[in-house]
Amino acid sequence: MKHHLLPVSPKTVHWGYFSKVVAPALTLKSGDRATIETLTHHAGDDYERMIEGDPGAESVFKWTREHKAVARRGAGPTEGPFIRGSGEGVGVHLLTGPVAIEGAEPGDVLEVRILDVKPRPACKACHAGKCFGSNIAANWGFHYHDLIEEPKPREVITIFELDTSGEPFARAVYNYVWTPQTDPDGIVHPTIDYPGVPVDHRTIIKRENILSNVKVPARLHFGTMGLAPSEDDFVSSIPPSYTGGNIDDWRVGKGAKMYYPVAVPGAFFSVGDPHAAQGDSELGGTAIETSLTGDFEFVLHKKNDLGGTPLEGLTHPMLETPDAWSVYGFTYPNYLAELGANAQLEIANHSSLDRAMRDAFRKMRRFLMTVHKLSEDEAISLMSVGADFGVTQVVDANWGVHGTIRKNVFRCD
Amino acid sequence: MSLRPYSSESYCEGERPEAWRDVLALLGLQPAAAATSHAGHATAVRRSSAGVTLATLSAGPQAVVAHPDAHGDHPLVLLPLEDGASLKTAAGHRIVAAGQLLLLPRASSWSVSFGRDFRAVVLSVACDAARSRTVAARLTVVQQIAPSGFGELFVRMLDAAARHLETLSDAEWTAAAQSLLDLMPTLLRQTPTTADLNAGTASKAATLQRLCQAIERRLDDPDLTPAKVAAAEGISERYLQKLFGGTGSSFTHYLRERRLQRTCADLSNPAEAHHSISEIAFRAGFNDSAHFSRAFRHRFGVSPREYRQTEAERHAATAAAAAQRGWPQQALVQLRNRPTAAAAHRTATKFPALTFCAETTPQHHHLSADASKVHWGYFSRSLAPQIEIASGDTITIETLTQHASDDPERMILGDAGAESVFHWTRDQKNVDRRGAGPIDASIYGRGAGEGFGVHICTGPVAVKDAQPGDVLEIRILDIVPRASRNPDFKGRVFGSSVAAWWGYHYKEFLAEQTAREAVTIYEIHHDGDAPYARGLYSYRWEPQIDPFGTVHATYDYPGVPVQPSSVRRRHDVLDGIRIPLRPHFGVIALAPREVDFVDSVPPAYFGGNLDNWRLGKGSTIYLPVSVPGALLSVGDPHAAQGDGELGGTAIECSMTGTFEVILHKKSEFADKPFADLSYPLIETETDWVLMGFSHPNYLAEFGAGGQSEVYATSSLDLAMKDAFRKMRRFLMTIKGLSEDEAIALMSVAVDFGVTQVVDGNWGVHAILSKRVFTDARR
Repeated sequence: MKHHLLPVSPKTVHWGYFSKVVAPALTLKSGDRATIETLTHHAGDDYERMIEGDPGAESVFKWTREHKAVARRGAGPTEGPFIRGSGEGVGVHLLTGPVAIEGAEPGDVLEVRILDVKPRPACKACHAGKCFGSNIAANWGFHYHDLIEEPKPREVITIFELDTSGEPFARAVYNYVWTPQTDPDGIVHPTIDYPGVPVDHRTIIKRENILSNVKVPARLHFGTMGLAPSEDDFVSSIPPSYTGGNIDDWRVGKGAKMYYPVAVPGAFFSVGDPHAAQGDSELGGTAIETSLTGDFEFVLHKKNDLGGTPLEGLTHPMLETPDAWSVYGFTYPNYLAELGANAQLEIANHSSLDRAMRDAFRKMRRFLMTVHKLSEDEAISLMSVGADFGVTQVVDANWGVHGTIRKNVFRCD
Repeated sequence: MSLRPYSSESYCEGERPEAWRDVLALLGLQPAAAATSHAGHATAVRRSSAGVTLATLSAGPQAVVAHPDAHGDHPLVLLPLEDGASLKTAAGHRIVAAGQLLLLPRASSWSVSFGRDFRAVVLSVACDAARSRTVAARLTVVQQIAPSGFGELFVRMLDAAARHLETLSDAEWTAAAQSLLDLMPTLLRQTPTTADLNAGTASKAATLQRLCQAIERRLDDPDLTPAKVAAAEGISERYLQKLFGGTGSSFTHYLRERRLQRTCADLSNPAEAHHSISEIAFRAGFNDSAHFSRAFRHRFGVSPREYRQTEAERHAATAAAAAQRGWPQQALVQLRNRPTAAAAHRTATKFPALTFCAETTPQHHHLSADASKVHWGYFSRSLAPQIEIASGDTITIETLTQHASDDPERMILGDAGAESVFHWTRDQKNVDRRGAGPIDASIYGRGAGEGFGVHICTGPVAVKDAQPGDVLEIRILDIVPRASRNPDFKGRVFGSSVAAWWGYHYKEFLAEQTAREAVTIYEIHHDGDAPYARGLYSYRWEPQIDPFGTVHATYDYPGVPVQPSSVRRRHDVLDGIRIPLRPHFGVIALAPREVDFVDSVPPAYFGGNLDNWRLGKGSTIYLPVSVPGALLSVGDPHAAQGDGELGGTAIECSMTGTFEVILHKKSEFADKPFADLSYPLIETETDWVLMGFSHPNYLAEFGAGGQSEVYATSSLDLAMKDAFRKMRRFLMTIKGLSEDEAIALMSVAVDFGVTQVVDGNWGVHAILSKRVFTDARR
């Protein structure tokens, strides 16, 4: 077993997409461990607190008129003229990787164990040692067309500070309403439509003393983790799908194991979208987006060894925690295959919890029948009385419902 | 995105009038009386495209007038969908029936009032949208257009567009809006059917209308003559004949046509199936069957018998195809036709004579389960209470699962209470009504109440001094399973779970490709640190013949005793699997205010079939009181259930609960967490749990069609929206947050989960951890 280190830099990140054609940032063997740094793509909401003085973050976010360190952001076009910028923000998450796994082939399953998760403290002198995050009630939020206060509509950024001295929690520091921002290339962003645009704090009005009696219990986790899909070379990081991606389940934190079906040789694992806390549904569009560093262990399960294990017949991402198994249902389980050439944009027009629930039901039934050898009648009875279905997210275009079954249900005697 | 949904659920009570005023203003309307605006339940969906705005409104009684700032050549188009409206203009009052279009010029003076809960479609066209089009002569007076010819075409299109407002894509909606705009000029050239409000013709038309109504009321009188009608309405017989003559008809001809139409309607109505043809003829004023048969055949080309037969077959076909729970759409007419049905049911003494202690020390009460203490499958504001208790009292309530009949030997036999409730022989059925359907089972013939609602509810319990607007707090102090009293199984506890035809899985089976219902009997081990249930045996449902001889091919009626010999029990079911217990009551309800018999299956603002397992021992539920006395009922006990209740039921197991009931008067809870409550609110030791539904108040939202419509239109997406709105309102009103703070907090700390997808009105709940608030009171 070898322990690797993967820091963030313009060379070790890709922004807004999964890809089977990007050169791996790291190659390792099954059983190896790696410490991987990740950055939140919302760090530009408060440059001073989340970027300044941090060499890794500064190098990735560097963007002047002359030089944009990571030019492509999203799976969109990279040839101008641009509406929003290179990659057009079709996908927004800063992902570290890809990590290639030696010998991984389509049909295998990659197990990723999260051994530890740590926040990334601020570096600028006046904030040194403190950890900050940003939450955005954004234009892709569930609430956006159903606001009751004026002005309508509006996007609101809330900056949180994470306190890890005891039981970790987050407190709001201030918030502000998004104002049109002009990026270093001169493009104006009237709404939050492109990631990493540094917010000019002279153009916004900070409101303090907000959420004054509120402590948000921390749930450190990675919103986006997954493998490169086989369908396209560049795939938006926003809709989650059969190889994982932007699942946004807060249970994917320390102590959790995720299983992903391998779609391309080498598996090509990437991780990002770190969150300090999120509720089931991620209602306003984002979590508390905070840069985090994780310790991971990678175990490759070969296709022929899956029979008789909980991974038998796995064609979708699955979570194992110390207490439970969860399967992830989506509006479209594999939207890339189902929605045709324009799938990456089309998916946003089809968001529905009803379809996601149906998918979660089917996946849970399959799990109980294949892995636990139940008859269909038994599986349905058990689901009725012992499985819990919850809303994972309603903001990532391909909406999610997770089905969870506790492990103590299967305690035999 | 041009779609703007509105729900009063987003707002606390004090803010609703203003919010509703805003909704009306965007349509060019405002409340008739300047100072008042509607504060009750209301929903609206409106969508705009280039100046064309289409909206559906659903709200309580109110009157609206033109907004003074609304300009434009195009009149407002208003279509009442149910119950009609009353139109007031300078020329007088007029009744507008449902389905009739009103063209309301913005500049003239009029007011439209809705006497009851209403639903209506409004189309509003701004000046600039119509500028490029040729507009017909400006409309200066209100016009009413009957739904025939071009009017009907327009009405249908308007209605259909309104129905699909939320599901049309932007491109589709734009096209639909443009088409409506294109049809407007032609519509404006239509001649109104009932003449304009010019004095002479108007009064003639009004008198004629009155005469027609008088005839309608007396159709059963075989000797109805022009003289009788004229006398009753205070006009001369000659004038009567003249008025009818003016329509190109005659009194005799009109009367005969109405009589025949009435029989025609009754013969095709499944609710009238138990009346003989001659009874129906007699009720329509035909006192000679042979004469009636001839007249009917002459008019409709078939004999009354043949006609009834074809109609019955048609109904059976559509009913089978629908396969949804609850009232079938076409039978709803019964609900409308029988407004007084419940009055007969109402007991003479509203409250039983009870000696009530005036002292303030809380009393403990006990309500056992037997046939006289339960109501089966429905909630009703007109049920006499079993007992009256005071705020602060505790009460132990025995409840029975309606699934005990899945294994009568284990769950009924030897248990005097259960035997009394389930007793059903050829000659005697102790609890006859099971469900909110017709007592004569005239829709499907399943049995009294038709199984439109299935839960055995114990109660109702009246709470002294409770009035609409108050909040009832129900603390669950204890839940104890009810052990078998059959000596063979003494002390053991059993439950049943049915993967039923109303389950979420039912339309897509894998194995064997055949739809089937499976019953699993569980044994409950409730002692020890980790109580659990284990599967005992299961069987596939086989057609069961109930003691009255009705065959139940599916699980369509509750309490049908399953004959052990009729099914094949499979043992070794769910081998090695233990299901951790989550004892709770699926149903805790206060009587709803809207109608007399409410199906117990769909939950709503009044509580009911919530099916949330968090409602267990140690938790509290707050429910808004809708009727005097609150009328609390409890039932549907569950030993364990998963979020979703996927197959249709939990582990259904009879249990006894002990509750502390506290009444909070409206005037006293201004700063309490349950102030501003219009939905069921659950409090556990650690969390607040808010219940969202596809249709938070389906009875008000859909009006008469509610008990059918709610099954047809349930969706998690709608329930999620409702849960979001309620949590936002809770955080803003109760916790004092701004909207921006509330949304940020919901994103990062509130968990939304699926409550159930099997109870007609699907549920999503929102869970807020109490430890989020550092200054949490209580």
